[in-house]
Amino acid sequence: MAPPTAKGKDAKSKAAKAAKAVKNPAPKIRRRRVRTSVTFHRPKTLKQARAPKYPRLSAPNREKLDHYKVLKYPLTTESAMKKIEDNNTLVFIVDIRADKKKIKNAVKMMYDIQTKKVNTLIRPDGLKKAYVRLTADIDALDVANKIGII
Amino acid sequence: MVKIKVHELRTKSKQDLLVQLKDLKSELALLRVAKVTGGAPNKLSKIKVVRLSIARVLTVISQTQKAKLREAYKNKKYMPLDLHPKKTRAIRRRLTKHQLSLKTEKQKKKEAYFPMRKYAVRA
Repeated sequence: MAPPTAKGKDAKSKAAKAAKAVKNPAPKIRRRRVRTSVTFHRPKTLKQARAPKYPRLSAPNREKLDHYKVLKYPLTTESAMKKIEDNNTLVFIVDIRADKKKIKNAVKMMYDIQTKKVNTLIRPDGLKKAYVRLTADIDALDVANKIGII
Repeated sequence: MVKIKVHELRTKSKQDLLVQLKDLKSELALLRVAKVTGGAPNKLSKIKVVRLSIARVLTVISQTQKAKLREAYKNKKYMPLDLHPKKTRAIRRRLTKHQLSLKTEKQKKKEAYFPMRKYAVRA
């Protein structure tokens, strides 16, 4: 019967010790925090990633400024015609909120042509004019005929 | 041009509607070029027709989308904010009907023990 009683004794003594520790806790030794710098920096805390329980907007809004909205219409003034013949460029009136990158993409999507560069200006009447210079292998006159501005 | 009827649009799928939208928009682009280059009057009058058809298609697309989303969130606890009832700002901040009807225990007891009596006087 030695092992059972020994085990029993150990368990009992352990339990007794634990009970004592709970009743009379050991005195807490307060350690002084060593400050090596004069300034106090905000301690880093846990940053959780967003995990929303519901989307705030039920569906994302549709893109309002699409290719069709960017290019309003081509210009057919005499100076614009000159640009087509001499400088291989097309002249468009574009939406004022369009930037050169959007204009470049819109022209590519709508007419399947590559642009060399786009210059823009805002006219005094509030419309944006875009000079779209085409690459050398594309003839602006052909494209103009295809679009309908002759 | 075929007159676009909304009840026919509602039977179409979203893909069909988007394709139709693209066609209408490219047609509008052609008409706008014609306007600048002095086009025929029949083309110029068509601009309004095409613009309104585009509006109809977009309306049908967004209406069906909203309706489907409302269905999806119908019995969920949390709902996106644009599906909440809009009404007015002040109405949304009012106490609900249930909140207005709440009474304290004290008041409930008073009303139970001392209700407003109705008397009739014999003429």
